[in-house]
Amino acid sequence: MGFLLVGLFIVLMFIGIPIAFVIGIVALLGIMNIPYIPEMTVPMKMLNGLDSFVLLAVPLFILAANLMNSGKISVKLIDLALAIVGPIRGGLAHANILVSMMFAGVSGASQADTAGVGKILIPSMIRKGYDKETAVGVTAASSTVGVVIPPSIPMIIFAGLTNASVGALFLGGIVPGVLIGLAMMIFVYILAVKRNYPKQARVEFSKFLKLLMETIPALFTIVIIIGGIVSGFFTATEAAAIASLYTLLISMFFYKTLKLKDLPKILIDTLSLSSLSLFALATASALGELMSYYQLGTLAQQFFTNNVGTEWLFIIIIVGFFLFIGTFMDAIPAMILFVPVILPTALQFGIDPVHLGLIVVLTLAVGLVTPPYGLCLLLAAKIGDLSIERSFKAVVPYIAIIIVVLLFIAFFPDIAFYVPKMINPSLF
Amino acid sequence: GDKSEGSSGDGSIKIVAAHNQTSPENPYQDGLLKFKEVAEAESDGNIKVEVHAGTIGTEESELVEKLKTGGADVVLVSPGFMTQTGIKEVNLLALPYLFDSYEHWEKVVDGEVGDKMANIINEKSNNDFKLLGYWTAGVRHYYGKKPLQSMEDLEGLTMRTQTSGVVANYWKQTGAIPTSVAWGELYQALQQDVVDSAENAYPYFVQQNHHTTDNGKYITETGHDYTTRFLLVNGNKFDSYTKEQQEIILKAAEASVKAERESLYKQEEEYKQKAIDDGAKVNEIDRQPFIELAKPLQDKAAKEMGVTDLLEKIREMK
Amino acid sequence: MNRFIKMLEKIQLTLGILFLSLFFIVIVIQITTRHLGISVIWTTELATYSFIWAVFMGAAVMVNRREHFTFDYLQRKLKGKTLLILNIFNDLVLIVFNIALFIYGLEVVEGFWSYNWVALPQLKMGYVWISIPIMAGTMILYSISHLMKHVKSLKVGEVSE
Ligand code: NA
Ligand code: NA
Repeated sequence: MGFLLVGLFIVLMFIGIPIAFVIGIVALLGIMNIPYIPEMTVPMKMLNGLDSFVLLAVPLFILAANLMNSGKISVKLIDLALAIVGPIRGGLAHANILVSMMFAGVSGASQADTAGVGKILIPSMIRKGYDKETAVGVTAASSTVGVVIPPSIPMIIFAGLTNASVGALFLGGIVPGVLIGLAMMIFVYILAVKRNYPKQARVEFSKFLKLLMETIPALFTIVIIIGGIVSGFFTATEAAAIASLYTLLISMFFYKTLKLKDLPKILIDTLSLSSLSLFALATASALGELMSYYQLGTLAQQFFTNNVGTEWLFIIIIVGFFLFIGTFMDAIPAMILFVPVILPTALQFGIDPVHLGLIVVLTLAVGLVTPPYGLCLLLAAKIGDLSIERSFKAVVPYIAIIIVVLLFIAFFPDIAFYVPKMINPSLF
Repeated sequence: GDKSEGSSGDGSIKIVAAHNQTSPENPYQDGLLKFKEVAEAESDGNIKVEVHAGTIGTEESELVEKLKTGGADVVLVSPGFMTQTGIKEVNLLALPYLFDSYEHWEKVVDGEVGDKMANIINEKSNNDFKLLGYWTAGVRHYYGKKPLQSMEDLEGLTMRTQTSGVVANYWKQTGAIPTSVAWGELYQALQQDVVDSAENAYPYFVQQNHHTTDNGKYITETGHDYTTRFLLVNGNKFDSYTKEQQEIILKAAEASVKAERESLYKQEEEYKQKAIDDGAKVNEIDRQPFIELAKPLQDKAAKEMGVTDLLEKIREMK
Repeated sequence: MNRFIKMLEKIQLTLGILFLSLFFIVIVIQITTRHLGISVIWTTELATYSFIWAVFMGAAVMVNRREHFTFDYLQRKLKGKTLLILNIFNDLVLIVFNIALFIYGLEVVEGFWSYNWVALPQLKMGYVWISIPIMAGTMILYSISHLMKHVKSLKVGEVSE
């Protein structure tokens, strides 16, 4: 029966049924096949899957990012990034990466960054003589740090599934996020020298200071969110609400770039984007329920202890598996389905849940730029008007960078945990 | 699945038994494993029991829903969540300072009051729920950033406690400020001064290391709640079983009650010792003022639930 | 039909936005009251249930706008009549699934209508559960309108989309 359902999953997906519905249909048919589980479990579990306060952070962090884009705060951040790294060869590409890192400190997802930053930087990169591939590739790839550098929606979901501390996961994401950004900058530099990409004019110091002063209120959002969560002043959900409120207030009253009449569109965009991934989460919860009746977690644990004796091999398998799953599924449903399956084994191998969370989230971040379902890649390709095939080819070196950092963190967790232990030793 | 009620052609049945605790070292798990052991042995495999430790729901409300629809057959629920189903009488057993010892608690739930409560649950739920036995999740104590010497010490302290009405009211009257913090976030909340204190039973908060936090290391044995948990089966499904199967299930339930309580009592001592060994400070307090404060609240709540007679009986049994 | 669907979508979208705004406001109330040392216990529950309504209403609108993520590989390969037939088949799959969701959703509503909220016991769980059949019902309507469009183009013989 299990194989039949997997087969059905593939067929439905292939003929073009939306993936969230494919998950729901497979869950329903699977549950119909088990005599003692009533069919009404499907709608019940769909709702129960959403009945969790931490999930409210998903639309709220998307709202914060949308407000930043509509309020032109992202433009200010780009100007700041250009002033800092513009004079390096390949300046626009460096700024693209740096601004994504700043954006990541406010946004819990990556798509808003690709959209907001990409719309501005991809056309101007192409105008300045960068290859389309480079423009699209660096935009898509650098926005993956959005889910690695805190705050991070996938980390919040992971924490909800495993009871790991959100604060610890967030702090743990800082080192890998910054490493990925720096490594991408080095790669871009080599590329820029080879292809002779332009530098940007140096910005006068007085102008730079003015720019910095202007962006400080925006950058302060990062302090509010990360500081608020890590110090325990707010929960992740509350921090997301505060971030939205704060961004709304500064763009309406400080920058005066946002008007009341812009709000409906921002809210509609937020609802659209978040209801898509959360509906997939709902149907994934129903499928996850089917899987727990099969007691897949226990089965996986038996399988791994009997066949895979070592922790490192187990980690390699998890990474490979989530790389594969991430190509055709969003991070949230992927975690809902499979984190409960691997968690018992990970605990038995003595892997700390926070460590496991970093591995899983970093791996699924790669899924944002791998086709067919790589939302950031699709978005950037659309903005740059480049085919998916060519865009993917452009993004491959960056994927290699993420995977190297990921394996580094996987096998030397102390490096990722250095910063969090320094900031708040009691979290570990 | 179809409506075959989980029974197959040869008359054998499968029982899905579930609780909401994911930790394997939990008295609930010991209790349900005992249930499985006895039911399967006594029936020569005619009854199969599948035990789920948090895998089909870590929320009690979800387990209750599953019990009603047939997704689970035997579940464990606290009074707070039973009231959600519209049976408000059960909340009587969750009133602060209703019981003064485990002996008192056992006498009540295993006696006439327990039987009456079981009838109320069965009738009010239209036989959706049938009570098989009373378990406990331990006796709850205060733990916070300072030890309590008297009730005045609670003045202005924020306390993570249940959101259930009477309990919240009680703590408000002591001067504390009831605060809602998710269980999974409580460790951090205590550590980072989001809340000043909390209340729970040793096995639960010591397993979560709350006693090692700044705002959790002073434990005062307030003993305000000898908790009750209901072991429930779906009544309609139970009626569809053969007489013999019913008897085996009742027998297995009885064995599980014994196993769960023993395991809990043992863990309570173990985890208290662990807390002390880890450096937490435990003190006792004169409970009399707390008990006096609870009485009028108990009276009022019991009257609203229409179970004043049961309250009187419980008090007489002290 | 077209006007009806448009209006339905507008109502549903507005409802979704209202619930989104409601839970945002409720969370702000929660933070404020907690830092003032006032204990408000109903905020989490009200915020979470508004959130659920917002998500389900949004998800239904996204069906009408065909925004749910789909592998369009086959869709891009096929042309003309074959493509239309595939689209009709896919519309039917969604309709059948949503009919099931609607019926089982109603069963849930019926079974748990009178359960109470925890912190606001005067409110019924039915108000929350009913979001599912409403979502499934509207998804059926949206898919039927897609189906009718596809059938019409098949009859006319024109190649659309
Ligand atoms: Na981020
Ligand atoms: Na970028």
